[in-house]
Amino acid sequence: MSAPETTEGYQVRLEIFEGPLDLLLFLIRKKKIDIHDIPIAAITRDYLEYLDRKEQINLDREAEFLFVAALLIYIKSQMLLPREKDLAEEEDPRRTLVNRLLEFQKVKAACSLLREREDDQLRQWKRTFLPPLPGEQDLDFTEVSLFDLAESFFIIMKRRAARDFRVIKGKDVSLEDKMKEIVTAVEAGGGLDFLEYFERQETVEEALVAFFGLLELIKSRTVQAVQDGIFKTIRVQLRRDPRRTHLHE
Amino acid sequence: MNEAPAPAPVFENLQGIIEALIFISQDPLTVDRIKSVLEGASAEDIQAAVDGLVAGAESRPGGIRIIQVAGGYVFATRPDHDRWVRRLLQIERKNRLSSASLETLCTVAYNPDITQAEISALRGVDASGTLKTLLEKKLIRIVGRKKAPGNPLVYRTSDKFLQYFGLNSLEELPSEEEIGRILQEDKTSEP
Repeated sequence: MSAPETTEGYQVRLEIFEGPLDLLLFLIRKKKIDIHDIPIAAITRDYLEYLDRKEQINLDREAEFLFVAALLIYIKSQMLLPREKDLAEEEDPRRTLVNRLLEFQKVKAACSLLREREDDQLRQWKRTFLPPLPGEQDLDFTEVSLFDLAESFFIIMKRRAARDFRVIKGKDVSLEDKMKEIVTAVEAGGGLDFLEYFERQETVEEALVAFFGLLELIKSRTVQAVQDGIFKTIRVQLRRDPRRTHLHE
Repeated sequence: MNEAPAPAPVFENLQGIIEALIFISQDPLTVDRIKSVLEGASAEDIQAAVDGLVAGAESRPGGIRIIQVAGGYVFATRPDHDRWVRRLLQIERKNRLSSASLETLCTVAYNPDITQAEISALRGVDASGTLKTLLEKKLIRIVGRKKAPGNPLVYRTSDKFLQYFGLNSLEELPSEEEIGRILQEDKTSEP
């Protein structure tokens, strides 16, 4: 993911653009063209030249580049068509592209400001290995067993089956995604209500995957399932473990 | 409960107590959290003590200060000492975010509750890969699903995002004017 730093020394990778709009913006700047008034033919030529220079085109990655090239050519063709009346300002085929470019340019500018902040922050070291504080309302919980969990799970599933609903099957759920979803939900809410969470699952299949994901997370000691008393609701929460992963490793 | 109010505890050296609490906390400690620990102390007193601490740490020549991020306070080393800290930790250079990640993050920050398709459309590039990395780094989080065809996931930046960039809230993101100024500079600085 992370590209080698090129701020110091010679630059190894010169023209790597993050996306087609990035490339377009670069070409426009290089030609010192006003963004509102792009000479489509000239820019398209440069754009295609850049694509030509790439020896191999990775279709998956470069599809967007080709899409924008096609868009440029389309715009040019629209402009070449003879018309009875001149186009009104809003009908200029370049308009949507220009708007997108302006929006994108804003994001780029905001990025450069955030980049400064990032550099600033990265030079101020914070401690990352203290024991985390306990949650504010940490009570004496008992951890529930696999059987408690499985039992609750089957009760929920039975209750759902009785409700007679139809499901249009549309998506596949992966165990990995489900695990991530659980962790995110647990982190965001400081915990997760087991019953409520499984009630929310759309299909039995999704619920099953979620259940396996939960078991996996408990096994890997990422989360724990606790209950503050018999017959009380089961909650899933992060396991307090000083060896947590950090952003900078 | 209010019938016979217990005398509010007197905190001698409130500043000292609060400094200890910040010292022992890894994540930025908010005034609210401090208040819940120090029952009886008012938010104003705590804020005043914290302000005193921040100013005190700032004015002394030491290498550590207290900075405000993500709405709380945390100990941090002075930026000038960065290279020595890195040498101790044997870290050549901290990993910055890639441009693609930063762009995606920026898009999410300015457009909370955005979907992957919307991000991709804005950036003109498929954003699924970068979203995944950002989720792993916990800089963004999934906040729900959009009521739209396919029920796509909806993203927002996290508290960790604020910490990472030293912001207290999303309101501190570069404003429209600041961005405009950058764009203006870009234009004038070009030869």
